[in-house]
Amino acid sequence: MIPAEFSYLRPASVDDAVAALRERGDNAKVLAGGQSLIPLLRMRLAYPGLLVDVGRIDEMRGVRDDGDRLVIGAATTHDQVLRDPLVRTHCPVIAEVTATVADPAVRHRGTFGGSIAHADPAGDLPALALAIDAAMEIAGAGGRRTVGAEEFFVDYLQSVVGPDEVLVSVSVPKLGDGWGHRYEKFQSVAQSWALVGALAMVHRANGSIDEARVGLVNMGPTPLRARSVEQGLTGGDATAEAVAAAADQAPAGTSPTSDPHASADFRTHLARVLTRRAVIAAAGI
Amino acid sequence: MQLEHQFSVPVPVDRAWEVLLDVERVAPCMPGATVESVDGDSFTGQVKVKVGPITVSYAGKASFLEKDAAAHRAVVSAKGRETRGSGTAAATVTASMTADGDSTRVNVVTDLAITGRPAQFGRGVMNDVGNKLLGQFADCLADRLAGAGDARTPANGGGDAQASTRAAESAEAAESAEADVSAETAESAGDQPRAAESSDDSGRDREGPRESRPTPEAIDLLGVAGGSVAKRVAPIAVLIAVLVLIWWLVGRRRS
Repeated sequence: MIPAEFSYLRPASVDDAVAALRERGDNAKVLAGGQSLIPLLRMRLAYPGLLVDVGRIDEMRGVRDDGDRLVIGAATTHDQVLRDPLVRTHCPVIAEVTATVADPAVRHRGTFGGSIAHADPAGDLPALALAIDAAMEIAGAGGRRTVGAEEFFVDYLQSVVGPDEVLVSVSVPKLGDGWGHRYEKFQSVAQSWALVGALAMVHRANGSIDEARVGLVNMGPTPLRARSVEQGLTGGDATAEAVAAAADQAPAGTSPTSDPHASADFRTHLARVLTRRAVIAAAGI
Repeated sequence: MQLEHQFSVPVPVDRAWEVLLDVERVAPCMPGATVESVDGDSFTGQVKVKVGPITVSYAGKASFLEKDAAAHRAVVSAKGRETRGSGTAAATVTASMTADGDSTRVNVVTDLAITGRPAQFGRGVMNDVGNKLLGQFADCLADRLAGAGDARTPANGGGDAQASTRAAESAEAAESAEADVSAETAESAGDQPRAAESSDDSGRDREGPRESRPTPEAIDLLGVAGGSVAKRVAPIAVLIAVLVLIWWLVGRRRS
């Protein structure tokens, strides 16, 4: 379990990181917390010639207030995110989901942006980014661009971040009053990947649901929004019956796989059940 | 592990059959596949599969076990070794074609066995990866078939088109087999980490009961790859046995 030989670079700025990536092209890889990349290196499933460590770039660390949004540096660790006062005040749903990522050791090294850029559909944060409508700031040779979560996730383990680009930060809207949230994740053993996860964010007004967002984990090659459920809930009564009826639509538009851990049918069943539980809890029913 | 994929190409089944049997013509359509040499019904080549940060490449050999022109059914056996690791992949791919009006439906069933580190990573993604690769393959193939058809009609005689058609078909079979192999590699890796590790260890530094209980994966590989793997492994096993014996004798004398 020894990685193939590679060079290591720890640039001090985003520009330096991009320049290094550009020079090496496809043969270089960004290293943040290393909680996904290092295992791949050790198994020799990835063998980049150069690792560009972005963990010490000041601009990419910490959480800052940006008017009606929060900007989370991509290299901020999960542990820092879930303890951050701004996050806990304005986007407690981020703290709730981040607290379920793997185990404490991983959360102390793994990063918020790394998890999103890795684009694993079984990861917790990609579905969160989708449900909360996060916007990703990406730096490349041609400057910077911002990509919404809806366009960010391309395929299994693939995002729009190019081989010579760096995910710099993730911007999320502050959630006002009236939002409830719940992340339901089903695991076969503690701290394993979710067989399926459902994140519900529900905004209630006058006894009915006026906005609902549901993100699904591991129900296809990318994280998904359960749009049919969202439409079924919006404008409806906040009752257990209405939620259950809407949650039955959770598998619409998904393409779960069968593997030794769970069949596609079981995943479909889980999506319904977890969505119902998450929405009921998020709506405070 | 068995994987199933389907795709359609917009040409009649007889034409599709010819094209799909032409390895050199079809191979370029498979993402990451290259054919190095073709010798009758056997061919050698490489398949490199890249999924996000993961890259796995195999070099190996494939051959047609069966070509049934009447039933439009071809069976290809492919065996490969990782070019940057010690893992292996073996696949038996059965492609069958059925006419569907003016187009052809191709059904590909892949029986796949993967060993080594790729088998330790991932979850149930192999189908996704396989479908994606086959999707790209089918699109490319459809383009080529359409292009060949155009060339055929007016000026260029049929010869060229037909030749390429034949090449294309075998390439496809080979490609789909290999692509599936690598895809599965990634997938099965995650599924059975313990099994893969224990099979790695059992021969070297464990004794007794562990050796007597080979993992399902190991059995699978031998079952599929048959004698050739055993032949390759045998000299190494003998060498290791001799070294262990020497080490044991020397160690005993010293103590």
